[in-house]
Amino acid sequence: MPDVDVLVVGAGPAGAVAAWHAKQAAPGLDVLLLERDRAIGAPVRCAEGVGDAGLREFANPDGADWVSRRITDVIFQAPDDTEVVLANCGLGWVLDRTRFDAFLAAQAAAEGATVLVGAEATAMARNGDDRWHVRVKQRGVDEVYRARVVIGADGVETMVGRWAGLDTRVPSRDMESCAQYVLQGIDFNPNAIYLQFSNAIAPGGYAWIFPKAVGVANVGLGLVSLKTDGRNARQYLDSWIARRFPTGARTGYTVGGVIVHTTINKTYADGVLVAGDAAHMINPLSGGGITNAMKAGRLAGRVAAEAICAGDTSERRLAAYHQAWMELLGEDHLKYYRIKHALENVDDESFNNLARTVNKIAAEKRTIGRVFAHALIKHPQLIPVAARFFV
Amino acid sequence: MRRVTPDTIAVVDLAVCDRCGLCLPLCPPEAIHLELNVLTVDRAACTGCEKCVGPCPVGALAMVAYA
Repeated sequence: MPDVDVLVVGAGPAGAVAAWHAKQAAPGLDVLLLERDRAIGAPVRCAEGVGDAGLREFANPDGADWVSRRITDVIFQAPDDTEVVLANCGLGWVLDRTRFDAFLAAQAAAEGATVLVGAEATAMARNGDDRWHVRVKQRGVDEVYRARVVIGADGVETMVGRWAGLDTRVPSRDMESCAQYVLQGIDFNPNAIYLQFSNAIAPGGYAWIFPKAVGVANVGLGLVSLKTDGRNARQYLDSWIARRFPTGARTGYTVGGVIVHTTINKTYADGVLVAGDAAHMINPLSGGGITNAMKAGRLAGRVAAEAICAGDTSERRLAAYHQAWMELLGEDHLKYYRIKHALENVDDESFNNLARTVNKIAAEKRTIGRVFAHALIKHPQLIPVAARFFV
Repeated sequence: MRRVTPDTIAVVDLAVCDRCGLCLPLCPPEAIHLELNVLTVDRAACTGCEKCVGPCPVGALAMVAYA
């Protein structure tokens, strides 16, 4: 039975950064990073947008081959297609997750972590020896690893949390059902992300266009099924695309869930930490989770390494991770969550009116600050909408 | 305590399911499993609450008679 110090389940941004930083904090530890799929980063279940500042804490996007597109503008679209253009309002990136996730895993490997692909954790249990016994299936063969700390970075399914006895369930109203195509040969501003808010197009969420290249974009939407007319996310997306981009070639397709909740009440147990989507660490207002996952992974990796070095992997010790996360971002997410629910009561006509009145501000004066100020006066509940992506 | 048998339970159409895992955390009794790229609903654990059906982005889950 192979022994490791830290076993990380899931090689997305949370898991790869956790393995990387655990090894960096304590180079003498054995760190194992498992990925269920055959290739790290694929299939992509993501719109791939990320803000500049958070990304730079981990990697330099300038000239990187894991970047698809540099973004400078945000274009909000009202339900009636009225556009509010915010030029040069901040910097962001649309990533190529197939390359970006592999890049992060390579960082972990460069620190000395072992990376296994096509390796699925299928069960884990405590056997009275202060270790987790994790059953891993690879190429049809089961092997049990003993680990001092297991970091669950296994995404929306969050099985590690479940096995550790944590409550990782989500109420229906806090689950966004998403569908997305990669569309080619479509006409849009390739330096802008587009966000369209409408109860008819994406009830309880929004529709997006995130550029991958000139004429190529991730085009998708997220919705809350309780608010729909009975159609599923793919059907809503097909309707939207039929109207907006009837001639676009659909060269890729993905679906998935985004948990727009707040961090689970307990992200730790004896010898277990849960990070990223698995711990509901998504910005509930924007649905963005990449940098959150990396920041949580960094905390989890460090806390796990320090706990092992101190000879204490009890949940009392590991609770420091939860506290650090809540101070870093978890408390903010509680606020965003309340704002999100306030916004749900804004109807399509109010969004249309807001777009038209904001457009009376001259384009060169239409800074994000002025739009905020305007929104504050006219529709105070709308302020955070403009910040959905870049906050 | 004896579990009350529901009239209907959830079933997955694996030809439609995309294995995205969205339904797993929505299931109150944690009756949905995704292992080795196959989604299964544990019919002994499903309570028939239907919480997994509407949110499926591709409509792969449906309710059927328990019997």
